[in-house]
Amino acid sequence: MSEGNRYVVVTKKDCPTCQLIEPALEELAKQSTLKVFNQDGPDFPVLTGAEVVDDHELDGSWALNVEIVPTLVCYQGDQEVGRTEGWERAAWRQLTGFDSLGEALPEFRPGCGSLTRDPSIAPRLEARHGSGRLKARRLTLASLEDAIEVCYERGFSDGLPVVPPTPERVITMLSGTQRDPGEILGDVPPDLVPVSIEKVAINAVMAGCRPEYLPVVIAAVEAALDEPFCMHGLLATTYFSGPMVVVSGPLARRIGMNAGVNALGQGNRANATIGRALQLVIRNVGGGRPGGVDRATLGNPGKYTFCFAEDEDLAWTSLSEDRGFAREQTTVTLFAADGVQGIVDQKAREPEPLCRSFAAGLRVVSHPKMVQAPDAFLVVSPEHARVFHDAGWSKQQVTERLHELLLIDGSELVQGAGGMAEGLPAKLGGRRFRKFRKNGLTLVRAGGGAGMFSAIIGGWGASGEIGSSPVTKEVRS
Amino acid sequence: MASEEFRDAAKAQGDALGFHARAYYVPHPIQDRSDEEMKALARDALPGILDMLRRNPARDNEL
Amino acid sequence: MSESVLLDPGSERDPAEREPHGLPVDLAGKTVGLLDISKPRGDVFLDEIARLLEAEGAAVARFKKPTFTRPAPTGLRQEIAEQCDLVLEGLAD
Repeated sequence: MSEGNRYVVVTKKDCPTCQLIEPALEELAKQSTLKVFNQDGPDFPVLTGAEVVDDHELDGSWALNVEIVPTLVCYQGDQEVGRTEGWERAAWRQLTGFDSLGEALPEFRPGCGSLTRDPSIAPRLEARHGSGRLKARRLTLASLEDAIEVCYERGFSDGLPVVPPTPERVITMLSGTQRDPGEILGDVPPDLVPVSIEKVAINAVMAGCRPEYLPVVIAAVEAALDEPFCMHGLLATTYFSGPMVVVSGPLARRIGMNAGVNALGQGNRANATIGRALQLVIRNVGGGRPGGVDRATLGNPGKYTFCFAEDEDLAWTSLSEDRGFAREQTTVTLFAADGVQGIVDQKAREPEPLCRSFAAGLRVVSHPKMVQAPDAFLVVSPEHARVFHDAGWSKQQVTERLHELLLIDGSELVQGAGGMAEGLPAKLGGRRFRKFRKNGLTLVRAGGGAGMFSAIIGGWGASGEIGSSPVTKEVRS
Repeated sequence: MASEEFRDAAKAQGDALGFHARAYYVPHPIQDRSDEEMKALARDALPGILDMLRRNPARDNEL
Repeated sequence: MSESVLLDPGSERDPAEREPHGLPVDLAGKTVGLLDISKPRGDVFLDEIARLLEAEGAAVARFKKPTFTRPAPTGLRQEIAEQCDLVLEGLAD
C-alpha cells in the first residue's frame, strides 16, 4: 500500500461497471482513506469504513471534472497525483499500491459516461459553477418578474417575444460552435461595440435559434461587419433596406433550412431565427434601433428576419460557387434588401421571352428611371429555372442577357421624361445606361415546385463603393 | 447641422458616444429643394450657426 | 428552468460624458472646417454658409466625405483636426 495516500472514487449506481467493482471499493476502504461520490442517489455503494457522498446535484463530480464513471483519483495531501477511468485492474493496483485489489474481478471493464457530461445537465452545471467562459453581465430578476416582459422593458426585443437568455441556454447555444466564446468578431454599428461569440450566442438564444444554427449566425454577423457591406449606413438610411441572408451549401440542408415551398415566408425555424438573430445583434450590441439611428421611412417586414436557403441544382452553379467558394462549402451571403416584388410569367417556354419578362420587372426597381443605384437579387423559382435548364442556359448566360435587356436610353431616364420629375440631369439624355452595375444582379434558385412566379428583391439605392455590396462568408464550425 | 427629422438620431448617437456635439437643425425637407431655396435656408440658419460656433461672454453667467 | 438570471445581450457600455472644446468669442482669424457628407443638395447649402462665414471674418476650409453611408476616413478626420479650430458638418437630411 502507498502510505499517506487518500482516494476518491466517483460512481453511478446505474453503471454496471460501478456495480461490479463494489467489492473492490470495500477492499480499498478497509486499507486506506476512501471517499466516494455517487451520482444517482444515497444508497450506493454500500461500504463500511468509507465516506459515501450523495452527489445527485453533481457538484462534487463537477469539481473533479469527471468524464467517466467509475473514476479513481489518488491524492497525496491536497495534490492529485493520478487518476484512472473505468475498471482496469492493473491501473487501479498501480495507483493504490494494493497488489491484490479486485482479485475476483475481471481484468477490464469500460466505464459509463459521467452524468456531468449529459447534454441536458452539463449546461446547468456550467452555468451554476461558472466555468469562467461566460463574461456577459448577469441581470438578476426579482422573484415575480416575468423574464419575457423584462426583455421587452429593457428594449432587448424587436417587437416579438424573445426567449429569455439564461446562462444555461447560452451555454447550450455555445455548444454549437468550437470557437472561443471570447473571440471578437468586429465592431457592431452604429455604436461600434466589439461583439464576442458569446454575445452572438445570447442574441441567438433570444431569437429562438438551435445550437446547430449558431455557426450560420456567426458567419452572418461576420458578413455584416465586413466593410463592403456598409452595415452602418444600411442601418441609418431612411431607405427600406435591411440585411437579407442567403445560405448556400450542405449545412443549410443539414440544419433543416427551407429552400422550397414558401422559402421566403414563415414557418421554418432555421430561416426565421437566423435572420432574426442577426437583427437582434445589431439592435442590442450595436444599439441600432428604429427611431434612434435607424431612420427608415417605412422599413420592410424583412427587418424582423429575412433568411432563406438556396435550392441548389447541378444545372446551375451554386451561389457559393458564384461567390468564389466551392459547392461543398457552406456560405452565407448578405444583401442589403428591400421587400419582395413578384414577377409572373406563365406563358414563356423559351429563355428569351422569360428574360424579357424578368427585365421588365427589374427595370422598375427603386424607380423605372433610377440606374446603377440599387443592386438586385432575382430568386428564380424551379418552374422558371426549368425553362433555362431545358434550353441549356447557364445562370451566367441568363444574367448577361438580363444586363443586355436592361440597357436604357438616357432620353427615357432624364428629369421630366414620361411626365415624371424624378430622373437624371438633362445633359445625360444622349447616353445609354445599364440598369444595374456590373456585379449588381445576382441570381439564386429557390421556391416550391409549382408556380411560374419568381421574386425580384431590390436593394438599397446606395450600392457598391457608395454604399453596400453583397458579402459572402464561409460558415465555420 | 442636420434637418429637423434627425434630432432623435443625433441624440441616440450622442448618448452612445457620450458626446453631444452642438447642433443646429434646419427645417425638413432638403432633397427636393431648388438652389435658391437652399441658399435661403443657409441665410436663415446663419444666426443660429454663429451662435453655435461662438461663445457669448454676456451669457457666461447663465451657465 | 429558472429564468431568474439573464445574460445581458447588449453593449454593457456606459460611456463617460465628454464636453466639447471651449468656443472662441470671435471667429476672426479662426478656421472653420465645413464637412460635406456627399448627400445631394448639401454642397449648395455649404457654399452659401462658406460665403456667409467668410463675411464674418472666418477662414473656411472645405472637406468632403467620399460617401454619406460610411464614417469619415481616419485620414480625413486627422486633416480636419490639424487645419481647423471649429468644424461644421452637414450631418443628415
